[in-house]
Amino acid sequence: MEQCSNQVIVAKNVKKNYQQDSIVVEAVRGVNLTIEKGEFTAIVGPSGSGKTTLLNVLTGLDTPTEGEVWLNGRLLSEMSQRELCDFRRDNVGFVFQAYNLIPVLTVEENIEYVMMLQGVSKNERHRRVVDILKQMGLEGYHNRFPTQLSGGQQQRVAIARAMVTKPALILADEPTANLDSKTSRALLDIMRKLNEETNMTFVFSTHDPHVVDRARRVIILEDGVNVREETRN
Amino acid sequence: MMTLRLAFRNLLRQKRRTIFTGLSMLVGFVMGCFFIGWADGAYNHIIDSFTRQRLGHIQIHKQGYLGKPSLYKTIDNPERVGKILDTVGHIDSWAPRLFSAGLVSAGEKSAGVQVIGIDTEREERTTNISNKIVEGNYFDNRIRGVILGKDLARNLHAGVRDSVVILSQAADGSIANARYPVTGLIDTGDPGLNRSAFYLPLEYAQELFVLEGKVHEIAVNAANLNYIEKVAKELKSRLSGTGLHVADWKEFAHEFYVAMSADKGGMYVMLVIVVIIVAITVLNTILMSVLERQKEYGVLKAIGTRPGSLVRMVLIETALLAGACILLGSVIGYFMNLYFAEYGLKLANPIEWGGVQIKYMKGEVNFKSFYLPTITVLVTALLVCFFPALRAARTEPAKTMRTF
Repeated sequence: MEQCSNQVIVAKNVKKNYQQDSIVVEAVRGVNLTIEKGEFTAIVGPSGSGKTTLLNVLTGLDTPTEGEVWLNGRLLSEMSQRELCDFRRDNVGFVFQAYNLIPVLTVEENIEYVMMLQGVSKNERHRRVVDILKQMGLEGYHNRFPTQLSGGQQQRVAIARAMVTKPALILADEPTANLDSKTSRALLDIMRKLNEETNMTFVFSTHDPHVVDRARRVIILEDGVNVREETRN
Repeated sequence: MMTLRLAFRNLLRQKRRTIFTGLSMLVGFVMGCFFIGWADGAYNHIIDSFTRQRLGHIQIHKQGYLGKPSLYKTIDNPERVGKILDTVGHIDSWAPRLFSAGLVSAGEKSAGVQVIGIDTEREERTTNISNKIVEGNYFDNRIRGVILGKDLARNLHAGVRDSVVILSQAADGSIANARYPVTGLIDTGDPGLNRSAFYLPLEYAQELFVLEGKVHEIAVNAANLNYIEKVAKELKSRLSGTGLHVADWKEFAHEFYVAMSADKGGMYVMLVIVVIIVAITVLNTILMSVLERQKEYGVLKAIGTRPGSLVRMVLIETALLAGACILLGSVIGYFMNLYFAEYGLKLANPIEWGGVQIKYMKGEVNFKSFYLPTITVLVTALLVCFFPALRAARTEPAKTMRTF
């Protein structure tokens, strides 16, 4: 299949079923979508609509029951587990609802972890950590451990970790779900600003109307199917 | 580097669990170290007592003497062999001996005896024979006679200062007979020898059996057991082509050696116990720790950590803990073994082994008592934690994180 160089994600008729005891749960039921470079897209839907499952499948964290997912020009189903790990390391940044920073690593170590996996030199790693912490307004927090930070600060560190390697795509699952509205807005401002400045592609799932308002493209998911889309300025 | 840092900090995370796991490794290591040191010390003590106090660590004979002793199979030039022995390193002492059989009578009593001609000074330096005299005196310049096994003396109704007559055959075919005063009675520790030992100065024996300047055996004691092999090897090389045979205690006391080796096998039972202790606790605690951290492994995998790196992380974590326990265990084990090597344990009832009475059990500080438990603890811990490590590597990020 020919991929347009601007397309970061192409999902074709993606389905994902789960077996729960003797019942088959159809979490995603035939999603077709294309995400292009530099988009700031929200996947919106109520709880149980399949947002998280879809994000998992789009990044290779889970395998689709049916359909194809192309990420940055590569068909995910053709990759081994090891290739998928390397591919995610180099192409995808993750921001999780529960932050999921490594508790035994400091802020600086959490951010530089993926760079270490990539083999970036120590000086370069340090330079990038200093830069990104400045962008995130977290100067002076290098040596703090995650437990010494507030929820908003932890999520900013998580965004820094996701962005520091300049991946093609940043996926965020309900990034503001655990934050108060003021912190959520501030975080969204940061994400949007970074998107505009770096042209990095952001895809995030949410059901928070304030978050949806900031998205330039909104994909609405209901019962595992993308029922409609909205594009905003 | 980051993997090492992660592994190290993970150890400090659940201190109580780490301490528990570490303690099991530590106890296993110290037990292994102590019992190996103890077993080696005790057995080496028995071996050293058995050999040093009677037979010698190494013996030199004419070729064929060991298999079939004969009055005529003599070392014809013991002085030359002695000069060689004096130049070989790690030899503590050596003593020439002459053996024969005879019939001894005292009054109307008579008994078959084993005649042992000894160089009185060298024998004393080699086997401390004077310590075994239970009545009368050891030979000195003034007192020249015979020393009888204490049970032989009793059977002959002979005591110190009595005279005994020996009758035998000399090497030239003549009748060998002589009368000697009894200067002392000896308790060799070997009941058989106590009933038959007839010690007399070497020059008397050589004269009696017309074997002037000749001996049947030269017993050699090395500085300690560890040098026996080296000394024997050098002697074999230096005495090759002379028609003499050099044998270490494992050869000339082969049955004793086989018995000791079989007994020493018991030491490996202790290592199996160590393996079981370490395996059970390490498997439990590492598996528990891995299961608790599944979500974290999921995150690490999601952001690009390869499965192999996760296996490595868990293995390094275990190896770090095992390494620390081995270091600490080595210090504890060293001082325990040192204490028991120095002071030992006095036995309420002495053990008799091959005619030698063992009153103390002593430990030993040796390399084996450290490297064997090290290998055992490390290999067991790493093998056992391989299963939890694989579980960590097989973590499915989507399942374990749930929130994504």
